[in-house]
Amino acid sequence: MLKMNNVTKVFRTDLVETHALRDFNLHVQEGDFVAVTGPSGSGKTTFLNIAGLLETFNGGQYHLDGLDVSNLSDKERSRIRNEKIGFIFQGFNLIPDLNLFDNVDVPLRYRGFRSAERKRRIEQSLEMVGLASRMKHLPSQLSGGQQQRVAIARALAGEPRFLLADEPTGNLDSKMAHSVMDLLKDINARGTTIVMVTHDPLLAKQARRNIFVRDGKVSELHEVSAFAEDETAASKVANSKQ
Amino acid sequence: MFNSSSWEVGPILRALMRNKVGALLIAIQIAVTMCIIVNAIHIILERQELMARDSGIDEANSFHLISTGFANDFNEQVTIETDLNTIRALPGVIDAVQINAIPISGGGWSMGLQTQPGAEFDGVGTAVYMVDEHVLEALDLELIAGEAFKPTHVRWRERAQTNWPDQTIITKAMAESLFPEEPWQQVVGKTVYINDNEPILIMGIIDKLQAPWVGWNNVEHAMLSPEKTLFSSSRYLVRTEPGRRDELMPKVEEILAESNKGRIIRDVTSMMDTRERSYRRHGAMIKILTTVMVILTVVTALGIVGLASFSVNRRRKQIGTRRALGASQSAILRYFMLENFLISTVGVVLGAALTIGLNIYLVQAFSLDRIDWYFIPLGMLVLWMVGQLAVFGPAKRAAGIAPAIATRTV
Amino acid sequence: MFSYYLRLALLSIKRNPILSSLMVAAIALGIGASMTTITVNYLMSADPIPHKSDELFYVQVDSWDPNDPYDEPNEPPDQLTWTDANNLMNARKATRQVAMASSGAVIEPHGQDSKPFNAGIRLTFADFFPMFDVPFLYGSGWSESQDLAREQIVVLSRETNERVFGGENSVGRSIRIGGNQFTVVGVLNHWQPVPKFYDVTTGAFNETEDLFMPFLLKEELELPNGGNTNCWKSPEGDSFKAFLQSECVNYQMWVELPTERDKQDYLAFLNSYADDQKALGRFPRPLNNRLSNVMQWMEIQEVVADDARIMLWLSFMFLLVCLLNTIGLLLSKFSGKAAEIGLRRAVGASKGDLFMQHLVETACIGIAGGIAGLGLAMLGLLGIGSLYGDFAENLTSLDLTMVAVALLLALVSSIAAGLYPTWRACNIAPASQLKSQ
Ligand SMILES: Nc1ncnc2c1ncn2[C@@H]1O[C@H](COP(=O)(O)OP(=O)(O)O)[C@@H](O)[C@H]1O
Ligand SMILES: [Mg+2]
Repeated sequence: MLKMNNVTKVFRTDLVETHALRDFNLHVQEGDFVAVTGPSGSGKTTFLNIAGLLETFNGGQYHLDGLDVSNLSDKERSRIRNEKIGFIFQGFNLIPDLNLFDNVDVPLRYRGFRSAERKRRIEQSLEMVGLASRMKHLPSQLSGGQQQRVAIARALAGEPRFLLADEPTGNLDSKMAHSVMDLLKDINARGTTIVMVTHDPLLAKQARRNIFVRDGKVSELHEVSAFAEDETAASKVANSKQ
Repeated sequence: MFNSSSWEVGPILRALMRNKVGALLIAIQIAVTMCIIVNAIHIILERQELMARDSGIDEANSFHLISTGFANDFNEQVTIETDLNTIRALPGVIDAVQINAIPISGGGWSMGLQTQPGAEFDGVGTAVYMVDEHVLEALDLELIAGEAFKPTHVRWRERAQTNWPDQTIITKAMAESLFPEEPWQQVVGKTVYINDNEPILIMGIIDKLQAPWVGWNNVEHAMLSPEKTLFSSSRYLVRTEPGRRDELMPKVEEILAESNKGRIIRDVTSMMDTRERSYRRHGAMIKILTTVMVILTVVTALGIVGLASFSVNRRRKQIGTRRALGASQSAILRYFMLENFLISTVGVVLGAALTIGLNIYLVQAFSLDRIDWYFIPLGMLVLWMVGQLAVFGPAKRAAGIAPAIATRTV
Repeated sequence: MFSYYLRLALLSIKRNPILSSLMVAAIALGIGASMTTITVNYLMSADPIPHKSDELFYVQVDSWDPNDPYDEPNEPPDQLTWTDANNLMNARKATRQVAMASSGAVIEPHGQDSKPFNAGIRLTFADFFPMFDVPFLYGSGWSESQDLAREQIVVLSRETNERVFGGENSVGRSIRIGGNQFTVVGVLNHWQPVPKFYDVTTGAFNETEDLFMPFLLKEELELPNGGNTNCWKSPEGDSFKAFLQSECVNYQMWVELPTERDKQDYLAFLNSYADDQKALGRFPRPLNNRLSNVMQWMEIQEVVADDARIMLWLSFMFLLVCLLNTIGLLLSKFSGKAAEIGLRRAVGASKGDLFMQHLVETACIGIAGGIAGLGLAMLGLLGIGSLYGDFAENLTSLDLTMVAVALLLALVSSIAAGLYPTWRACNIAPASQLKSQ
């Protein structure tokens, strides 16, 4: 499904070159749930951006769904993002001027669905995250957890094969973080491949597989045998609003 | 590829409703700009039409001057005869004539002609040009009916003399105003009355000759009266061969001034300068309005650029998110162009109403003409285009925002 | 505190140089355009003789055609006949009175090198000079008895004196005008009322005349008619005398009436005069005599050109667009400062503090725009001056009042433009900006 071989990424600014990824290797199978952890600045987001075709890379190969994506045009990359990939961001990234319905509608518009189809999908995905009744509300009228659920609904509405999440619980308190995590596990259980960046080891443990990134490289890979429900660990999560 | 779902009219409108003030500000600017531009263009065209009217004489090759006698032994009649003979004999001069007033110059003499005698009847106002038999050639007039003056028709007129010669030649427009029921050809030979009951025979009709007053409603009304004047000041109008005017102007001035020291020659002016002077305020108005229009359009466009740039900056994150969710660059470009189009639409609709309102006011207060209906859609189109052009830069920059912005935590 | 706000304002302006200069430019253009047209309109509608403009009255009596009014709907003629001008002058019923006319003649300076030239003449009465506060450089006007004696005396304009006498005191010297010998009794200092209110029949902004001489010399020397002559019936006879005695109007008249009572009395006198004339078979129309003070007369004569008024309105709309522009830009600018405002609120700044801070910033932009606008207005006036030529010569100077008006207009309009954005900015909740967006 996702296959990175020796991918490198260098950021050049006037003063410095930052090697955000060096010889990054990773294979993700269809249906997998991978949690990516690592210290701040280690290259997690960079990896996710490249995986989600938000950014180009400098060297190595990346095959997504069997397709070499290194030489695609911006337009083709946009289309693949739209059709195959769903994004969940740490800051939710809901559009403040649009109500929930219109927010979930955004990727569907670019997909070119007809309005009846869009309406069906929006309602269905908001239903799934339990916010169907608040379709006409604005993001600012929701709590952080609810906002992130809307973002998830938006990511899922296009039925992507692939869900990429960058610290989806980073801005949430532990209770909300868990409910979001439950939702993701649920989604994964229905067959969507998920790659999630987090710096919370307890949440990471709930994924099927963990990778640890350090200095732009994958330094550890290990399976997590089963979804462990660890109440005590969850309560120790010390995330707070930033 | 056209796809209706990617034209996000609904969501854009709903998002705009949440930022009404900014959008409304642009819309009102567009509306007022359109209102000013359309009305200004209307005024400009009106003035241009006014300025394009033909005076009927050979303006490009004519000039005029005044000879004022002051010496006690000044013999005006002899001077005039000599002057005219001298000027007419000059090589390069087609013809010259003594005339009491210069067409389109601003100052002249008017009388009323009426078709029935008696103080109780109204006359038709007309400019009076007192000229001799050289008038047709000197003024480049075309006699389209009847006969021209002969030397025997021409008399001398003293300063306070009040009676009139027995014949006149009038313009076609005057003929049509005097006898609206009849074809102008049949006006020749008719008798009209001046000073209530003094009869004058219309012996000819000329195609066109304007009165001295360019702002007068009846500027096409003129009559030629066969007489030379002894008013102590004389005007001569001289027509030269093409291209020789500038050479002859100082020459004629010098010859006349030298030939008789008992008078002064003054105000030697080409007809082109006279026209420029008479229409100067219209020309000035055209230039001022054009400047206003251009500056205003630039101001409005810069305002749109400024506001759009700011709104793009404010929405960087949102744009990145849209890109991450699959929007292509052209979809982002389209978003901002469409947004501007919708705001402009409100603006130009408002503008159409304002334009008509201002025009109605101008019509009432300054007796301008009504604007033609097609000015409105044209004005709308122009402002739509100004808006689209102005927003293109910021929209292009928005489209260039990297999708990776979406994952950058602020 | 104010200097702190000032420093913040300058910082904020510097931080967004493009946006700030855009705003300054917008205000400057708006102010420049409207100040240009305001100045032209202000000068056109200026009171040319402010301390007594409501004591000077233009006299109209209706001597016109029984069948048609002089002008619709029922306007009396804008000038008098020779007969009426003289009768009213002889009656001497006002504190001061002048009848006048314009004419022209050739001046022949002494000496062979200076050429004869044509001069514009104002024929008038002794009261003209004190009544209109005409300034003298040398000598003075003439007396009533000199009027009646039809003396060949003349008052020169400063420019004419320079041309003929090289600028020296020419009082008592003789000058040849229209073939007749005159004695100079006075030389004016520069005098150019704007508008040239005492006679607007041939243009309200013309130059004043080159010469002033007794009115009755018109008859004595048979001086030609200047200005407009209108007749509703033609003179009875072909002599100059017949013309003077005709019903043709070519003369203006002003009277000085210091009190309302004087005015009522004079109007009553005019009406009884008209009745007397009716008895003589003149004045066939119903009684319709008018006294208009200076500003009323300027209004009736539509001294302010339509084009100038149209431009005034357009320029106000132009200013409106520029201000809307500024409002939009300020909104954007202040919304970009939401985080800073939220922070200031959170550390204890009151709404009032923030309001002042932003108002100072707006005022700075307004003043900068006003000063730049003043420069543009001067350019605009130069432009109008060159476009309209001598017509606008006296209408395109910025005086101190106009400078003050320009700055005030800039300040007021920019603050008005800044109020809403400032109010919006100050209403940002202290906490909202600390939350992640
Ligand atoms: N757009 C960029 N320009 C320059 N350097 C960048 C950019 N994005 C990320 N980096 C650098 O790349 C490295 C990896 O960053 P990132 O992937 O965001 O780390 P993480 O998400 O693991 O905290 C960091 O050193 C960061 O400073
Ligand atoms: Mg990161």
